[in-house]
Amino acid sequence: MIDVEEKKDKIDSIIRACAVIQRMNKVRPDASESERIYYNMLSDYYIRIKNAREEGKFIAAHTVFFPAEILYAMDLVPMHTETTTWMISLFTGESTELLSAGADLGLASEICTPHRGLAGAFACDALPRPDVMLWSNLICDNTAKSGELLMDINRCPGYFIDHPFQHSEDERKYLVGELKNMISFLEEQSGHKMDWDRLSEIVAQMDRQIELFREICELRKSVPSPFKTRGFLELLTIDYLFPGWPEAIKYLETLRSELIERVKNGEGAVTDERFRLMSFFVPPMYLIGFLDRISEEYGAVSVTEPFFTFWADGRLDPNKPLESVAEKSYMIPEVRMYGPLDDRAIKSIVDCAEQYKIDGAIYYADVGCRHTCAMVKLFKDILNEIDIPVLTVDCDIVDPTITSEEEMREKLEQFFELLEDR
Amino acid sequence: MFERFQTINSTFPRTDHILEYKNRGGLVFGWLCTYVPEEIMHAAGVLPIRITGYNQETELEDGSAYLYINNCSFSRSCLQMGLRGEYEFLDGVVGGSTCDGARRLFDLWRNYIGTPFHHVLSIPRKFTEEAHTLYYQQVVQFMEHLEQYLDIEISDEQLLHSIGVYNESRALLKELYELRKLDNPPITGAETLEVLNASFRMPKEIFNQYLSDLLRDLSASGCTRNGNARLMVTGSVLTNPEFIRSIESQGALVVADDLCTSTRYWSDPVLVSGDITPLQAISRRYLNNFPCARMFPSDERFNRIIELCRDYRVHGVVSQIIRYCVAYAHDMPLLTQRLQSYGIPILALDVEYGTSGSGQIQTRVQAFLEMLGAKVR
Repeated sequence: MIDVEEKKDKIDSIIRACAVIQRMNKVRPDASESERIYYNMLSDYYIRIKNAREEGKFIAAHTVFFPAEILYAMDLVPMHTETTTWMISLFTGESTELLSAGADLGLASEICTPHRGLAGAFACDALPRPDVMLWSNLICDNTAKSGELLMDINRCPGYFIDHPFQHSEDERKYLVGELKNMISFLEEQSGHKMDWDRLSEIVAQMDRQIELFREICELRKSVPSPFKTRGFLELLTIDYLFPGWPEAIKYLETLRSELIERVKNGEGAVTDERFRLMSFFVPPMYLIGFLDRISEEYGAVSVTEPFFTFWADGRLDPNKPLESVAEKSYMIPEVRMYGPLDDRAIKSIVDCAEQYKIDGAIYYADVGCRHTCAMVKLFKDILNEIDIPVLTVDCDIVDPTITSEEEMREKLEQFFELLEDR
Repeated sequence: MFERFQTINSTFPRTDHILEYKNRGGLVFGWLCTYVPEEIMHAAGVLPIRITGYNQETELEDGSAYLYINNCSFSRSCLQMGLRGEYEFLDGVVGGSTCDGARRLFDLWRNYIGTPFHHVLSIPRKFTEEAHTLYYQQVVQFMEHLEQYLDIEISDEQLLHSIGVYNESRALLKELYELRKLDNPPITGAETLEVLNASFRMPKEIFNQYLSDLLRDLSASGCTRNGNARLMVTGSVLTNPEFIRSIESQGALVVADDLCTSTRYWSDPVLVSGDITPLQAISRRYLNNFPCARMFPSDERFNRIIELCRDYRVHGVVSQIIRYCVAYAHDMPLLTQRLQSYGIPILALDVEYGTSGSGQIQTRVQAFLEMLGAKVR
């Protein structure tokens, strides 16, 4: 392992940032109950990681779209790796040094920043060492290839879930087999037994979560849309970090009630809704505050993200918990874009554009995400065919050196002017 | 000796062989990755050729407009050729879920280029028995799709015949590579790549004849190639022999490679036995073949690289990774560690597909060779 300079603990930074937001939310008259629940959950998630070592808990670091339901059912402490790098960027703005540490390991600049930053973070002890590293090939080569280096850096064992590309019965069976083997591996490494009843409960709760995600999506069809642009990041975090958590259901139910109330009162997420937007990929985390401001300034609100909040049809069956965990991985909104791109997925863009009454679309062309960018032209062509203009913004989800606030403002303002002129 | 191969490569994709095949009413299918089993297409009477990009560094305006600038220049180069009608003669395209670049190339090919037949195989990333079962099921589905599309039935005899043709090719290439183990091989790395490029751009039967002739000529000529350092080239897909020639022009000799256009393309034969069907044998070979960086665990590939270094008595390794070829880029820190633990230095080059290795690359290679020179002495 290559030694790089030790950096301060980023988990502490996230917890401190959450504490500040929680304090502010207590005194902010416009802070919603759902926000309060969200930041409490987020804070608790990272406090559990921070205290895990002292409490003798077993930390399982895992990549995005990994079935954390299994980890919760085994009473392990999950650490979602990519989300953690996002959170560092969102709350602390301290990503640059971690990216440099990743480069010091020999990782090329083309490797996406959440993964490069993550390797850097582990290498310089900015994150606690996990007891085990878990990853899969959902959703790209970066996730598929990140695990072995992280095992080496953390000197820990690991397990790779080979997630089949397509969705045939054979492939589903293969995936269930992979999950079973991983459970055996985890039982052996952690000494914790899988609690199958607990997994069934979590699956039932996850099914409810998905139902609530769908209901929230439906409410966003209202004009004006009651849901703020940044809200979809919270929905992602809920799915990524808290699958099957009762608190997550509480959050989603509260949010849904708040949105129903807003719809009833004709209250939009922005004061004067003028532009209803579709979004592709995720905006830069370090510009979220700015995006909130410009959203209000121009009355522009993201009302749908076809491949980030739009779950595929299907239900989870608590009586078949493992099969359901596998099934869920095919229903995840992102998998419909990053998996095999069939005509149905392409058509769903047009359907969303019509159902959500879209004026324009913003494509966050993340320089580190080849999958996302490879679809820019295709999706643009599809939307242009139905006369929806698309703005493509080159940016990076984590690295602030790629796009500045000024550049983003200039592009968005030009785009809003174009929409205004139509 | 190499003119026949060079002619094919310089006229690809519209080579005389391909045009003749088409004129006789034959179908030509393009494949996108070495995990696509060629024998099945061959057994169906189809000519399988590998889709590659421009053989030199080229402006990729169309490729970048469709696949964006941050997808690897190999996939952008292939797509651009497709968009510009250079693969217009193809009757089918077959891909695999091998890497992000190949997958998105397939997606856009399907959407924007009017090739009539499309098929994509799910390729597992492991070598377990379960992975073999899944890959076999994928291979069966591919064969059934092909049979249905062509309205034919592919028999075991036809498969066995195709296995024989392809295995003969692999055996001849092995023979060629054995020559590279010699102190003074009769062939350079650049010449070898010229031969290999032709191997996936023409009917295998004719290639086998050409290669047999070459082996005979090489043996009769008694020519030798000398270099002050024996190198291995590893990394992303590489088809431009000029890149290797630029390394060799500085005094080194490339004697081994771990590339999907060379050793990883031909190294393992299909092992036919009475216990398994020909299709099972094909399936097993393709998943077990010298692995791409996409496979897990990476040690399988690293071990074979170390083995090659030993067998070919390699002094140093040149890694050429196309920008945005993430699978190989991720392996670099661990591969570097492994090679260093065996005392084998590695030079890491970021390249674009089609590069001839001029400019800064030459300077870096020169410095590497100087360092190796001091070490070898």
